[in-house]
Amino acid sequence: MEWVIAVAVKVIVIFTWALLTVLYITLLERKESAVIQDRIGANRASILGLRLNGFFQPYADALKMFFKEDYTPPFVDKPFYYLAPLVSIVFALIPVGAVPVADSIGLFGRKFPLSVIGSNVGVVLILSLLSLAVYGVIFGGYGSRNKYGVLGGMRGTAQAISYEVAIGLSLVGVLMVFPSLDLNEIVHLQNRYILGGWVPLWGIFLQPLAAVLFLIAGMAENKRVPFDIPEGESEIIGYFLEYSGMKFGMFFVADFVEILLLAALFTTFFLGGYNLPWLFTEGFHFPWGGSLAMSPIIVRIVQFVTFNIKLWIMIWFLLLVRWTYPRYRFDQLMDLGWKSLVPLSIFNILITAAVMVVIR
Amino acid sequence: MSTEEVRLFIGPQHPGVTGNMSIEVLLKGDTITWAKTHIGYLHRAFEKLMERRIFIKSFPLVCRICVPESDTNEENLARGLEELADIEIPERAKWIRTLVLELSRLQMFIMWYGGIAGSMGLSTPVQWGIGDRDYILDLFEELTGGRVYHIYILPGGVRKDLPEGFEERVLKTMDLIERRLPEYDELIMDNAVEQKRLKGLAPIPKEWVEEMGITGPVARACGFPYDVRKNSPYEAYDKLDFDVITEDGCDVWSMLLVRRREIDLSIKLIREIVSKMPKGEFLTRLPNVLYWEIPKGETYVKSEATRGEFGYYIFTDGSGKPRRVHVKGPSFIHGITLLERLLVGQNIADVAPILVALQICPPEMER
Repeated sequence: MEWVIAVAVKVIVIFTWALLTVLYITLLERKESAVIQDRIGANRASILGLRLNGFFQPYADALKMFFKEDYTPPFVDKPFYYLAPLVSIVFALIPVGAVPVADSIGLFGRKFPLSVIGSNVGVVLILSLLSLAVYGVIFGGYGSRNKYGVLGGMRGTAQAISYEVAIGLSLVGVLMVFPSLDLNEIVHLQNRYILGGWVPLWGIFLQPLAAVLFLIAGMAENKRVPFDIPEGESEIIGYFLEYSGMKFGMFFVADFVEILLLAALFTTFFLGGYNLPWLFTEGFHFPWGGSLAMSPIIVRIVQFVTFNIKLWIMIWFLLLVRWTYPRYRFDQLMDLGWKSLVPLSIFNILITAAVMVVIR
Repeated sequence: MSTEEVRLFIGPQHPGVTGNMSIEVLLKGDTITWAKTHIGYLHRAFEKLMERRIFIKSFPLVCRICVPESDTNEENLARGLEELADIEIPERAKWIRTLVLELSRLQMFIMWYGGIAGSMGLSTPVQWGIGDRDYILDLFEELTGGRVYHIYILPGGVRKDLPEGFEERVLKTMDLIERRLPEYDELIMDNAVEQKRLKGLAPIPKEWVEEMGITGPVARACGFPYDVRKNSPYEAYDKLDFDVITEDGCDVWSMLLVRRREIDLSIKLIREIVSKMPKGEFLTRLPNVLYWEIPKGETYVKSEATRGEFGYYIFTDGSGKPRRVHVKGPSFIHGITLLERLLVGQNIADVAPILVALQICPPEMER
């Protein structure tokens, strides 16, 4: 019974954290674009006259979405039309649950992972759920019964399917260096040090090419500029063309959840996850010989904060790209995926294998 | 999958279309196999309205023909009427008109430079362009009282003299814009994705330029050194020192290069105009414009707008109103004759950049 309550508390806390992060990603996007474009950005929303330079803006946005008229056009294919936003947001949120935000703790005599899904095949789970998220795009485009929507849905599908190949292949390199499918274990393996204990053995140092490929393919999977072809607003408006109110809001939130997911996965695979350099389960062990003992709970809190800092740096970078690049054309995007990213990731696997054989 | 063609209407409510027009296309996959421009969403009967008005009342009307660049229309109509009524305007008025035209051209090109990136989803230069254009609109506000519609150029000269210290402020604004331009270049010209999208996009066959009567930056991007400012100079352009800008690519990238160099040219010309600005009168005495009758005659005046050759054919019959005014906007050729042929074989995603590159202004197509 206590176990069930503990798990329920964990699920609620982690998903609340995820959704709050998503809310503030929208604010960061607004503010970052404002700074880049010489504007001030949203700063009018207030609670009791307190503005805090737009701190409450995400809540105002969310409320607006909820209270907007939810108009369903008469010609749509109802089952698909209603299912699409749901599929999008659910399959974007569940993989977030597989990412460990801190090391697992012992609770009631059992190992209690600090991620919603403490699965030992987390990588496979995330990849499979990511492919399911494509159905949101297909259903949305097809169910809208709109030519622009169908075009967007088709493009989105083709794009997501081709870039999943690149994502999967770039992760193979990572899995070869960190031989585990458990995300927590992968993070653990990144808490080793080389060069006299000075340099952490993070994924980005072991697999730099895979990191770049994963980031590019992930952005494409995410359907954001420069890969926002399914929703290019100046050409075909997108698969969510016929949606309004909170149904559109769900697509919108799903987009930002995917940013969070991509940033979290990149952090986990390549930036050492929740690891702060030289912080181990029982405290710091510095390479110059000093050490600092800490209680396990404090260590978990420090890990959680570290994870968040790395996450926000990644999110900042992902948002930056949007305001500095125009979008590719569809055929150019496919060329980039199949002719550059896939061959490069296969090359990366070969190089990794060769180096591993030589070292062994 | 069926290979049937899909009929798609792009516009009039479409974020990628530059105004109230619609393009009907047939799509095979992502490729356009047939295109047709539909106009008529913006018809305001300018030409007919002008026939019912005394001459001076047409000036607030013609500046609405292309909203962001109103001065070309005013100047054309004023020059045409002066030609018909045989009025000689003071030298200073000519130079002030030239200054206003160049400022107007510069603000339009800056906005366009951001817009070409905006047509591909990069909205940062769009915001910059609109922001920097505002500095020039500030100058216009000081000079004419209006930011967008100036109604400043009248038959016989200009409505007001330059305010005190205006020249220095113009030069200051030019310095400011020149400081900003490298940032645009970095974001637009040096952008790998942008180059990939625009280089070699929608090449115009060279023989089309003469067949269809393509003018302006589009013709110059095809290597035709045709610039009304140089070929048949008007106002003070014959006293200015500049070369016609041409590129040889015929594609959208060359049009981008031509317009980028036009920005530099405009800044240079504005500096030159300010330094050479003569002293003297700015307006000749006209007869009472409310009862102004112009003798029978017809004329065609033309000038270089940012989009191409802008022409006015004016026919008067000796009464107080024109018998017929015909406005020839470059967008009519670029937006209908050229666009319909150019879009065939292009990708649906390239419609927006092509539209922006041809700089189509729908009100010019339906006067």
